[in-house]
Amino acid sequence: MKSFLTIIKLDYLQRTRNYNFLITLCASLAIAYTFVPEPNANYSTIRISDYIGFYNSAWFGYVTAIMSSIFLSLIGFYLVNSGVKNDIETKVGQMIASTQTTNFAYLISKTIGNFLLLLTIVCIIFIMSIVLFFLYNDGYPFQIVDFIKPYLIITVPAMFFVASLAVFFEVILAKYQVLQNVVFFFLFCALIAFTPKNKDEFAFDAFGSKIVMYQLEDTVRTLTNTDKTTSMSIGYVLGNTKKANKFEFNGVQFSSLFLISRFFWILISFGLVFLSSKVFHRFSINKKVKSIKKLKIIDSKIGFKEINLSTLIEAKTNYSIFSLIKTEFLLLVRKGKKWLWFVNISGMILLGFLSLEMAHKIVLPILWFLQVHRISDIATKEKSYNMHLFASSSYKPIQRIFASKIIASLLLMFIISLPLILKYSINFEILNAGFIVLGFVFLTFSSILLGQITKGKKLFEVTFFLVTYANINEIPFFDYFGAIKNDLGNIYTILIIILLLLGTTIFLKRKSVQK
Amino acid sequence: MHLEIQNVSKKYSKDKYGLKNFSIHIEKGILGLLGANGAGKSTLLKMIATVSKPSLGNITLNKNNIVKDANYMRQQLGFLPQDFGVYPNLNAYEFLEYMAAMKGIGGKNLRAKIQQLLEGLNLIENAKKPIGTYSGGMKQRVGIAQTLLNNPKIVLFDEPTVGLDPEERVRFRNLISDLANDCIVILSSHIVSDIDTIADKVAIMKSGKLIEYGNQNHIINQVADTVFETIIDSNQISNFKEKHLVVSTSRINGKLKIRYVSQNPVQNSITQKATLEDAYLYLNSII
Repeated sequence: MKSFLTIIKLDYLQRTRNYNFLITLCASLAIAYTFVPEPNANYSTIRISDYIGFYNSAWFGYVTAIMSSIFLSLIGFYLVNSGVKNDIETKVGQMIASTQTTNFAYLISKTIGNFLLLLTIVCIIFIMSIVLFFLYNDGYPFQIVDFIKPYLIITVPAMFFVASLAVFFEVILAKYQVLQNVVFFFLFCALIAFTPKNKDEFAFDAFGSKIVMYQLEDTVRTLTNTDKTTSMSIGYVLGNTKKANKFEFNGVQFSSLFLISRFFWILISFGLVFLSSKVFHRFSINKKVKSIKKLKIIDSKIGFKEINLSTLIEAKTNYSIFSLIKTEFLLLVRKGKKWLWFVNISGMILLGFLSLEMAHKIVLPILWFLQVHRISDIATKEKSYNMHLFASSSYKPIQRIFASKIIASLLLMFIISLPLILKYSINFEILNAGFIVLGFVFLTFSSILLGQITKGKKLFEVTFFLVTYANINEIPFFDYFGAIKNDLGNIYTILIIILLLLGTTIFLKRKSVQK
Repeated sequence: MHLEIQNVSKKYSKDKYGLKNFSIHIEKGILGLLGANGAGKSTLLKMIATVSKPSLGNITLNKNNIVKDANYMRQQLGFLPQDFGVYPNLNAYEFLEYMAAMKGIGGKNLRAKIQQLLEGLNLIENAKKPIGTYSGGMKQRVGIAQTLLNNPKIVLFDEPTVGLDPEERVRFRNLISDLANDCIVILSSHIVSDIDTIADKVAIMKSGKLIEYGNQNHIINQVADTVFETIIDSNQISNFKEKHLVVSTSRINGKLKIRYVSQNPVQNSITQKATLEDAYLYLNSII
């Protein structure tokens, strides 16, 4: 037992002792700050028809708890779903495989490691919710129970479930990183779309937020003496707070069934880990075995012959970057599984045949998101493939190699979006076509900048995922490609952001090369 | 070709130096850089390759300051880093084309040159397979091929023989000797036998400092007449090591045959001809 706890402790330490996690914590702090808007802020996060709650302890506690349960379930998965993968890449897994540690013990330690990581972020949000209460409260007393209760009953079990799902997908879809992301995305959408038909069915809500939402809506319905379904919005909605009326929300009385259901979801999580342990590859992945077989054949050949330098052909100087762009493009195309191109081409066909609105609002952001693994490591690819020393010692690395990576990525995104751009161009809707171009330029530069800052691809992947989800749900604040707000004002805003991204990117690249 | 390294230091933190006040003048031929892991060999090579900049001091190639004008060096550089990687999805042809484009090399003859290099390095049969499927030795050969793409005038090899089998090592040494007819070759290693047969000059490094530099005879002379061989009981070894610098040991009929460096040899010791390895270990132990 002691060694099991030591594994968990050390796993947690090695995953938190890095720059990326520090950035994640800072970002969590910043996001948590926005969960309950400042009284005069121009946006709302939770709003029931024209109503928002008085700023009392229950409102702060429950709102931040369900916001973190929903959003952290979504992005948390992407933050933690590389525990096993890291052990494969660092070859630590092979050492673990040769020890007495059972599959279940190893995977449960990874699950708890994931859970502790998410719990750290939850703690940050929890502390921030208390700070926000003291900053904005409407004169209500501070009641700690109203903060602890929702986190303990809603957020904590949800985080454990997500932690186990991350391990489950890492094991079941070990070789298909992209598929892990996509399948979770759809699973999350399905779970969030689940609408309980009666109070007993709240037990089936994995993230536990529905019961609070129901209570909020019910309070407003009682207040307004109506039986109609109230329109509730969750997420960042701009410019709708001015007319808001206020109501007093005093929290939720959780039924015994609901409380038991939280334990049930934790049990399901253990079940998922148990199932995973039955099919866990234990770091003996087929792909590796195959390549070793191939290597044996290749290795049976004799080594190198003599090279006569005097007869070597003289190659000419050619500083064109065309060749570099060609190879960078080839690398992007070849990345990931081949069958993903079948999905990409299907998506491109849909872009051409679906209605403009449907193609622009739904298909395009999903199709772009499917390229996340291709464009998320533009800034870090050289380092992760250990090619950075070649690149840094080559002729004009920024103007030629860095530029070719950017151009290749833009080219790929352009080709992916081409059917819709053509459709808009044929309809003379040049503004919309322009928006799409700006959209993928924005994505490319965001990827580079976040990669440069974090020295990794995770933050961009998580942000991209969140932004895609927000766009599919038509949250205007996140519209970077004119799907919702396609006016000139928005195009200028995006253009300015892109120029800022470009400037910062070049500045950081120059700085890193000078170092 | 003149490569001048003048009072170069690389400072990582307040008291941590990768290289400290390092100066050396290098001309055409092979310079062997010897030093233990962490001695600063790779740091020095990275600065010559313009991958990192010195915190202090200057590096000039043919009187051009490459700290300020890195592209002057990059145009004539062939560099094989210690732990280099490859893009596993590219085959050897594509990878070398990519490396050529990085170096600013192209034209009609490029494919023929790549073909020649792949043939010479015995990679031609597998040239169309992804490099991700290659063995360590084959990847190392691809690395060697890329250093020769641009007819370099200065070639840096950082621990180049890793992954090569004994026969390949011999051929690699021949290749380096050929290269040195026309350019500066700097070969870094902590394995003395990689260097002693081919290096015109040897620089020994320790803790970021140059502790000895010169031709092999000059360095070997530091331990002339102080290298001996003797046979002792195996239980005496700890005591023996406290008094003398043991270079190597081998087991004979339950006893130990010891090669050691000492000013005060034990009785029945036989004087041995000093080698570069003896001198390297001796210099490393006294400074």
